[in-house]
Amino acid sequence: MISSIGILSSWLLFLLLGVMLFTNNLLKIHIYMRLIVFLNIFLFLLLEIGLFIDDFSVAYISNYSASSTPPLYKFASLWGALDGSILLWNLTLSIFMLFYLSNYKISKSNIDTKIYSSILLFFVGYTIFSSSPFAGCVEASNIGCNSSSLLPFQNLVSSQIGRGPNPLLQNHPLMAIHPPFLYIGYVGMSAPFVATISRLALRNSTNEWISTAQKLTFVPWLFLTIGISLGAIWSYEVLGWGGYWAWDPVENVSFIPWLLSTAFLHSAKVTKQNNSLLNWNYVLVGLMFLSTLFGTFITRSGVLISVHAFSNGSIGTYLLIGILLFSILFLYIGSINSKYFLTSKKLNNIFGRSGFFIANNILLFSSAIIVFIGTIYPLFYETFFGRQITIGRNYFDVLVGPVLLLLLFLIIFSIKLPIKDINLKSFYEENIIFINSSLLISIIFLLFFNRSIMFSLTTVISFLLITMIIKNFIKNFNKVLSPSFWSGQIAHLGLGVLAIGIILNFTQSFSQEFEVKSFDNFLFSEKNYQVYDIIQENLPEKTELKLPISNGKVTKYTSLNIFNNSSQQVISSPAIYRNFLYDTYISVKSLNNDAYKLIVRKNFGILLIWVGLFISSISFIPKVKIKK
Amino acid sequence: MKAKIISLILLITLIFLSFFKVDTESRYEKWSKILLCPVCQGEVIYDSPSGYASDMKIILKEQIETGFTDEQIYNFWVARYGERIVTDTISRNFEIILIPILIISIFIIIFIRNIYDKK
Repeated sequence: MISSIGILSSWLLFLLLGVMLFTNNLLKIHIYMRLIVFLNIFLFLLLEIGLFIDDFSVAYISNYSASSTPPLYKFASLWGALDGSILLWNLTLSIFMLFYLSNYKISKSNIDTKIYSSILLFFVGYTIFSSSPFAGCVEASNIGCNSSSLLPFQNLVSSQIGRGPNPLLQNHPLMAIHPPFLYIGYVGMSAPFVATISRLALRNSTNEWISTAQKLTFVPWLFLTIGISLGAIWSYEVLGWGGYWAWDPVENVSFIPWLLSTAFLHSAKVTKQNNSLLNWNYVLVGLMFLSTLFGTFITRSGVLISVHAFSNGSIGTYLLIGILLFSILFLYIGSINSKYFLTSKKLNNIFGRSGFFIANNILLFSSAIIVFIGTIYPLFYETFFGRQITIGRNYFDVLVGPVLLLLLFLIIFSIKLPIKDINLKSFYEENIIFINSSLLISIIFLLFFNRSIMFSLTTVISFLLITMIIKNFIKNFNKVLSPSFWSGQIAHLGLGVLAIGIILNFTQSFSQEFEVKSFDNFLFSEKNYQVYDIIQENLPEKTELKLPISNGKVTKYTSLNIFNNSSQQVISSPAIYRNFLYDTYISVKSLNNDAYKLIVRKNFGILLIWVGLFISSISFIPKVKIKK
Repeated sequence: MKAKIISLILLITLIFLSFFKVDTESRYEKWSKILLCPVCQGEVIYDSPSGYASDMKIILKEQIETGFTDEQIYNFWVARYGERIVTDTISRNFEIILIPILIISIFIIIFIRNIYDKK
């Protein structure tokens, strides 16, 4: 029943979008738009109902949910695998489209409606022609479904037990919210793209598209920031591998649109001020959107091995066609505007305000290039040389690290940028107290920690940045400065704190392995830890083996989670003892004959990393206040 | 003037301390951060909690204790698992660093020429 209603509603949605593509009546467009959002909500809820009533005649539900799955993870199973996640993707896309049409639609033409409809049509088309979350199960296996049909009203069969979600996805509530945030960020990049392409397609030669695109980029940028941060927190706090960022291909492809949109949010300011960088902004807006499609392609097509590549489907080719079509559209609109782009004013000042923004863009874009090459190079290498290679984190550390450090240094000057060339001498004299105290704090740091050039550079730059922003904040708190200025300052403050956390973590952390039995003691970093006896908890969806460990003050558990129904993959969850400077992070490994192998890590700077990410994520607050 | 002298002293101390660094990482640690765990999803054996990585670490430890050179360690693992097992690809395939540097240089030249006045 759910399968047939879902398939028919998807067809209806596709049809409605087709009609909307050829409608020019504004009232009808608005009515259709609301119907489209309604249908997307309906499809979303329909699959949720199916998940909650365990309708295993729907192939997706029997393959990615189980009766024993707890309610929160049943709810999240909708975006736990490719076919279902397309529903959330489409729902978000339609809400963005409604928001765009209600607030930013071009009044004289419907071209933006048509472009937006075709993007949504493209993704809804996938659920109809390629793979649908509502496909009915026509051949059940013992657990899950073997074969499914894209047509309604088939003779459906259902397995007795569902396979359940990927164990990684049902281990912690954070995993339920990390993907939707990223989706909103990804999907939202369609709005500035449509705004730009449609305005330039009309060739009306005003710069209004830049401010519209800039306004439309902020929300997706924010969600991308929060989504990436949540992913880092989840992987560190929940998975026992002790890290938060692995330069994994899927992390990389979420980082690329973030770098590009950050670049655009800055370069748009230059254009608004002096009518320059027109073509460059166009390139950034286009790449922002295309990079999200590329990201989805990498995540979902299974071309790369990664912790995230859990679902391989037929979407690879489908997305490649999409990337190709939208690239052609982007290039075509760019080419017909070449004369307009030539009106872009040339800059002539290198060390003033615009120069800093240019440097910001060069550094961010260069980072995006480095990350992109590092991600696709193994693929390229295998295709041409027939051998598999791995690009590990030292490629990224060696190349991206210095680039972002230089960027952090330039951010210091963002507090008070002169229009003309910056006078370093007066800058030094004005801020001598802060410069000296930052040097002093860094020296103190160097005395207590492992020393390296990167470490000292990062600490000096970060401390200077943080102290100067705080000084500026205290000094100008009561003055009315533009909300976007304060927004930027808060984001920059977060980056300063983040940088100290990352460099501490990167240069100071270490680990040790211990083999222990119940009631043993072990000594790590001059502290004694007491192991107690293992506790086994049998939950409907998993068996949890919890090992209590005390540091003398508190007892925490490190555990192994063995999920039923799934691939029997074992997930280790850590016990974390945290203080301001470092975490003691204990994860349990293989268990045999009552002996446990513990990996104990001293991870520095984690709290600072979380605080930094949090500060950057709340950088929207000044903007919200003003709107009231 | 006083403040400037203090700046200078602090800066010299900082530079001196930075170069006076202690390398605490052992060869075992270095290699366990380089070798990929072949059954895990993109993790090096240093990070991986799997039993497979554990076995690999035992072999690696033995190799270092018996005095294998870096080249011998490299050859041993690559012979068994292929080049994919080694993640510090940049130390052997230097073009991987050169390609982005080249592309970025071209990008910067085109970008600067386009946006700045030629005067």
